[in-house]
Amino acid sequence: MKRILVALLCIAFISTAVFAQVAKTSPVADVKVRQALAYAIDMKTIVNSLMSGKALVANSLTPNGAWKMPNMKTYTYNPQKARDLLKAANWDPNYTLDVVFYYGDQMTVDLMTAVQAYLADVGVKMTFRKLEGDLASQLWVPPTDPVNGPAAVKWDLAYAAVAALSMNEYYDRFIPGGTANSHTPTDPTLAKLIDATHVVDVAAQKKAFYALQAYEGENLFALPLYYQQVFVVQNTKLDRAGSAFGNEQFNYDWNITKWTMPADASGKKVLKTNGGPVSFFETPFLNPGLFMSTKVLFDHLVVADASLTPSKGQLASDYKVSADGKLITFTLRKGIKWHDGSDITPEDVKWTYEFTAKVPTLNSVYGSMLKALVGFQDFKDGKTDGIAGITIKGSTVSFQYTTADPNALLCFSQFPPLPKKYFADVDPMKFQQAAFWQKPVGSGPFMVKDVSMNNFATFVPFKQYWGGVAKLDEIQMYPSGESDPNFIKNASASQLDYGYTKSVDDVLAAEKLSNLKVTPVDIRYTRLFFVNKFPKP
Amino acid sequence: MFAYAVRRLLTLIPMLLVMTFLIFLGLEFMPGDAVSFVAGPEAIANMDPQQLAELRQSLGLNDPFPLRYLRWLGGLLTGNFGYSLTSGVPIGDILAQRLPATLELSFFALVVSTLLGSLLGLLSSLRKGKLLDQGLTVVGMIGVSIPEFFFGLVALLVFAIQLQWLPIGGRIRPEYTSYWDHLPNLVLPVLVLGISMTAGVMRYARSSMLDTINKDYVKTARSKGLPEWRVNLVHGFRVAMAPIVVLVGFRLPILIGGTVVIEQIFQWPGIGSEFLAAVRGQNSPLVMMIALLSVTAVLLASFLVDLLTAALDPRVKFH
Repeated sequence: MKRILVALLCIAFISTAVFAQVAKTSPVADVKVRQALAYAIDMKTIVNSLMSGKALVANSLTPNGAWKMPNMKTYTYNPQKARDLLKAANWDPNYTLDVVFYYGDQMTVDLMTAVQAYLADVGVKMTFRKLEGDLASQLWVPPTDPVNGPAAVKWDLAYAAVAALSMNEYYDRFIPGGTANSHTPTDPTLAKLIDATHVVDVAAQKKAFYALQAYEGENLFALPLYYQQVFVVQNTKLDRAGSAFGNEQFNYDWNITKWTMPADASGKKVLKTNGGPVSFFETPFLNPGLFMSTKVLFDHLVVADASLTPSKGQLASDYKVSADGKLITFTLRKGIKWHDGSDITPEDVKWTYEFTAKVPTLNSVYGSMLKALVGFQDFKDGKTDGIAGITIKGSTVSFQYTTADPNALLCFSQFPPLPKKYFADVDPMKFQQAAFWQKPVGSGPFMVKDVSMNNFATFVPFKQYWGGVAKLDEIQMYPSGESDPNFIKNASASQLDYGYTKSVDDVLAAEKLSNLKVTPVDIRYTRLFFVNKFPKP
Repeated sequence: MFAYAVRRLLTLIPMLLVMTFLIFLGLEFMPGDAVSFVAGPEAIANMDPQQLAELRQSLGLNDPFPLRYLRWLGGLLTGNFGYSLTSGVPIGDILAQRLPATLELSFFALVVSTLLGSLLGLLSSLRKGKLLDQGLTVVGMIGVSIPEFFFGLVALLVFAIQLQWLPIGGRIRPEYTSYWDHLPNLVLPVLVLGISMTAGVMRYARSSMLDTINKDYVKTARSKGLPEWRVNLVHGFRVAMAPIVVLVGFRLPILIGGTVVIEQIFQWPGIGSEFLAAVRGQNSPLVMMIALLSVTAVLLASFLVDLLTAALDPRVKFH
């Protein structure tokens, strides 16, 4: 009897320990569960129905193109396989997945509803909710212990988008212990694979990404859903001079100085578009090319091609990257001018990248590039007057890095130098509030002619532009934010000759208008579920 | 009357103070976070906590509630309305840019709806039970029932896109050189807003007039042998105007925030669309200021209605 009691006690103790262990594991930590979820959702049908086919099914965080490995593993809809995997993973059918999102549009709600139905079909319960308030604290706070957790966030899956400038942006957020890695426990293999992508040599970097994607395909540390495209909508009368179509949300070599429109009744060649300022011109250091106004106003040290690969100098006549990638030297063109007629100097360039180092709202790729500069932290901490890694010699400006940043050149193709003299009394913490952003003085092919905030902004060719005077006589922009609710209305009334949209409804409507041509462009924009693999507290 | 007006005005001050506190308190409990909007949810995923803290500090979001309220109130009293969190533009400048556009739209819409509504209401009451009355009643009901956005979109489709008689939207275009140039832009939003409001005025005017023409003093006027038009317009309609004035008076403040839909459809850069953007963007200083403006307008309209009612209706006395 005594032995039986001891045995029973032992069994109870072991069971409790086992259950406690199970309780400490996230239900989606098992790769079989994640694979089952991927098999369970018929993204092809969702894309074709909810999005009218105006998106692409994703099989990786990496969008289609040269940066994705050939034969990437794809989880084609297979509910039976999903059920089998869930069974193999001992999925608890009473557990309800908590899915969160932060978009306020109907499409997101429809998508969540569809996903909920697909998961229910394989025996997975799910609820979804929109997050309100401080999103950073609800989404991205990492756990104190990045190996075992518990999680500092409450959700199982977070629906989000990664609109990437650089390829590294897709995967760096999975770096173990990263400041925004709230979801993925330390995985030495993953860490090593991500680290390998931080190289300057393009061929080596591509190879590293392929290896990472192969691991991603098996491990599914996130669930890719679909790739959003951008749709360039243009008047059929607009002649873009054969320029390539690229990611309109960033800066690329779009050759706008050669664009032309038929002359209007007054004999002027006018291009009408959106993206004009509503109450201010947005600084280009968070969204470098989101708005047409920013793109025509500012030139950059180098210019990227349509695939966002830096290809040639712009304000710099020449540039050199050292063999180890730690030193980049730009030689400024002779005679380049700001729109007020003054010279663009190496001091302007140095000042810009120092000043913006203290600006709080920066694009993450740009921020990382600055952080890698020699002497950055000392400057940030106020120990030095400038960043030691940025030096001037004659007309050359050099950038010295502690570690090679594969995206440094890309940054110089997106984040432009600014005229120092206009920011003498501006607090970097209140950069956007500077009077400069009411009527900016830039360096690009078009300069501000007139701004009537909330009504319109007009731009005329900059006569002293180093690349020659643009063929268009004027660009007229009506004010709009990132999502322009008046896109189709204005296009229908010939008030929009050029623009881009990601709205499926806008695209479908634009395709029906005979005066418009719609061109889909693949961009680095992936919609996905982040998967919280940490146990919940 | 002057003493009455001053007394009423003075009572508005404590009411306004209470309202400022309630507005501030309401916004304190409003869900949302300005930082998430300023930087964007995707961008904040890549910002380190120190950066976020700096941004929050720079926007003045870290101070305690009472301090922020008192600072805001102090600013109001000294004419400093604060800055937009998203643009950094002084709120005074935003109001100066946006308010004239809304007031212009509201004023003309109010004129259209008041004149048209009063006239049609008068005609309807004088032809009570006849075909005209029944027709106007049907039209009135349709007018009340059709949502502004639908009416606006149909008007745009017909007059701006199909017929191309009027501009698609906006207020001022680069080619305009004088104030008069933008009047075509005003036509559609004013008519849509004005006609949408006409039905209500018309129904009020009809009921009020029907009530008035049966009063003894109207009968007395008629028995004195006065011409029918004089009886109706001078003795009847003047008194019947009192409830219409109340309606129109209370529409004044509503028009400040009530033009949101019209401003959105016609790309009219007024205070309504700015308010909507501010609410969406958690731009609390701007939301507070526009809300306070609306509250002030309501209180002033109430004050104005009292004065006008007394002036129009000889039976009302100032106390």
